[in-house]
Amino acid sequence: MKKIAVCYKWVLNDADIRVNEKSRDLDVEKSKPQINEYDRNGLATGVMLKESAGAAELVGVTCGADTEPSAKDALSRGPDVVYYLSDPALAQADSTASSKVLAAMIRSLGDVDVVICSECSSDEYAQQVGPRLAALLGWPSVSYVSAVSVNGDTLTLDRKLEEGTETVTVKAPVVIVVSPDVCDAPIPGVKQILSAKKKPSHALTLAGIGLSAETVKPLAAVQSVKAPLTSRKAVNLMADGESVAEAVAKLVKQLSTEGVL
Amino acid sequence: MRDIWIIAENTPWARTLAAAAATLSKGAKTIAFVNGDEAAAKDAIAHGAAEAYSLPLPADAPWEAYTPALADKAGKEKPSLILLSASRRCRDMASRLAALLDAPCFSEGKNITVSDAGVTVSTMLYGGLAVKTAATSAETALITIGAKDFEHGAADPSRSGKVGTLPLSSAGVTVTGRKPRVAQTVDLGAAAKVLGVGRGVSEQGDLVVIRNLAKAIGAEVGCSRPIAEFFKWMPEECYIGISGQQLKPQLYIAVGISGQAQHYFGIRDARTIVSINKDKESLMNQNADYFIPADWKDAVTELLKAVQK
Ligand SMILES: Cc1cc2nc3c(=O)[nH]c(=O)nc-3n(C[C@H](O)[C@H](O)[C@H](O)COP(=O)(O)OP(=O)(O)OC[C@H]3O[C@@H](n4cnc5c(N)ncnc54)[C@H](O)[C@@H]3O)c2cc1C
Ligand SMILES: Cc1cc2nc3c(=O)[nH]c(=O)nc-3n(C[C@H](O)[C@H](O)[C@H](O)COP(=O)(O)OP(=O)(O)OC[C@H]3O[C@@H](n4cnc5c(N)ncnc54)[C@H](O)[C@@H]3O)c2cc1C
Repeated sequence: MKKIAVCYKWVLNDADIRVNEKSRDLDVEKSKPQINEYDRNGLATGVMLKESAGAAELVGVTCGADTEPSAKDALSRGPDVVYYLSDPALAQADSTASSKVLAAMIRSLGDVDVVICSECSSDEYAQQVGPRLAALLGWPSVSYVSAVSVNGDTLTLDRKLEEGTETVTVKAPVVIVVSPDVCDAPIPGVKQILSAKKKPSHALTLAGIGLSAETVKPLAAVQSVKAPLTSRKAVNLMADGESVAEAVAKLVKQLSTEGVL
Repeated sequence: MRDIWIIAENTPWARTLAAAAATLSKGAKTIAFVNGDEAAAKDAIAHGAAEAYSLPLPADAPWEAYTPALADKAGKEKPSLILLSASRRCRDMASRLAALLDAPCFSEGKNITVSDAGVTVSTMLYGGLAVKTAATSAETALITIGAKDFEHGAADPSRSGKVGTLPLSSAGVTVTGRKPRVAQTVDLGAAAKVLGVGRGVSEQGDLVVIRNLAKAIGAEVGCSRPIAEFFKWMPEECYIGISGQQLKPQLYIAVGISGQAQHYFGIRDARTIVSINKDKESLMNQNADYFIPADWKDAVTELLKAVQK
């Protein structure tokens, strides 16, 4: 095999997103971008596959409004090189647009045998980009992959579905969409972080891969993004300096009254 | 409005989707594609489809191998809407169909409204933290539908309609084996009371204390994703949230869980939510009905004592 490419998405850390209680808008001020958690397992799968397939190169691929800062982090997780595409036109990219851009990026790289995507992104959770990308490339795809092995240009994959596990074989070129349990994603150590600084990363442009801002326009117009109302009371049972035992006694009484204990 | 298509992973799903189509169709014709034999297609007709296609699971190819034939047909007939089950095979199929048709696809669409101008759909962002509402006037829009979003109606066995099938195309993927899922040891979905264990419980041995409390109050024990997926203290079926189990118990007690949106999504419909988390400001505490901002071990020990009295 020549190249294995891993698509990773640069997303906001959702743990730091807050809701403005009045407007129900999202406050993303404190939230920093990071590599989509699920894609860390995708990158680890790439490292494992490169080794077992004896592939020449592991490539990281990402696109979005501002993806350059992602390269260092991605490179510390195993790829030999990262290709990123940043364009303001992608700030509103939906799954349709993202998969079109990624397909054109993969084509422009050439010699890619396996593309690895993860099941979903932590922001939209659409679970669409991997299979869409395969359809656009005209390649077979296998989704919900929980185990991977390789022999020459043939991959054997386990898919975890609702009804059970399906084992399939498929020849490269192929897009595989991995679930988080496919392999562990080790946290990069000092050595990996230092060696990432020496690895190359390259910027691609929409025009350079033959696309225009027009072709990546979303097919649906966003009307609103609002947090739903929560109606929980959030009663602090230790608000008046109660001991744990007192708080528990209050809780038991309350739950019994509500008839839920 | 042109036809509505429904593409279903199995018969129960076909009934749910037929109900969804009936709600949205305004009299438009429903055409069903069901994983199953001719009887499955006929069942879809009895539940409201005008035409139904049986797409039996092939022995040596994934079910998704029907995608090219479906894309071909959709390209010619241009249904207004294609509704699919929000199950794994159908999500895969929805994405590929959308790419082949260059159509928008909404994952687990809710609050769907159809008008002459197009379709408006809400989807979730950041694991339920926010809801995004978007509109499209695309010729065909795809939407995957959650299992609990529509109630299916009764069968009308007197209904009749055309029954057919579609060709498979070799997608280059060969199935060499299938193993059914092993029966679940716990049925969290059926439990009236659930205790959720999170990373705040730092030792696997501590699970004993929590199981004792569960036994005392007649609850099942579930957990957050890291407990099952990274620590592997509990089977995967036990984790609660957007990518795990979605529950509707009367009581949920979160023990050492931070309450990130992805976890909360799985319990937001619980009647009463209690959180035990030493961080007063944690999302779990702030989104619970009652919370005890203390060390979980103290609280659980006291709770066990109190309920045993
Ligand atoms: C803060 C924020 C706000 C946004 N707001 C909007 C909005 O209002 N409207 C809108 O239409 N879009 C918006 N987007 C963009 C949108 O979230 C995604 O780019 C698009 O929907 C594709 O992601 P998905 O959820 O379909 O990916 P999924 O299909 O869930 O992702 C599956 C896999 O595909 C790959 N992948 C997906 N996207 C990329 C990528 N860009 N680069 C590399 N690999 C990728 C990864 O391997 C990933 O694991 C926003 C993004 C962010 C970060
Ligand atoms: C795309 C995506 C999908 C996901 N899907 C899911 C999902 O389906 N389900 C899920 O659960 N997660 C899911 N997650 C992960 C989720 O974002 C959180 O990371 C996870 O739920 C956190 O688990 P936790 O609360 O156990 O751990 P932590 O976030 O580490 O929280 C531990 C909590 O314990 C408290 N604590 C610590 N010590 C004590 C003590 N002694 N006594 C009392 N409290 C204590 C701390 O204050 C903290 O709040 C998903 C993430 C992503 C990105």
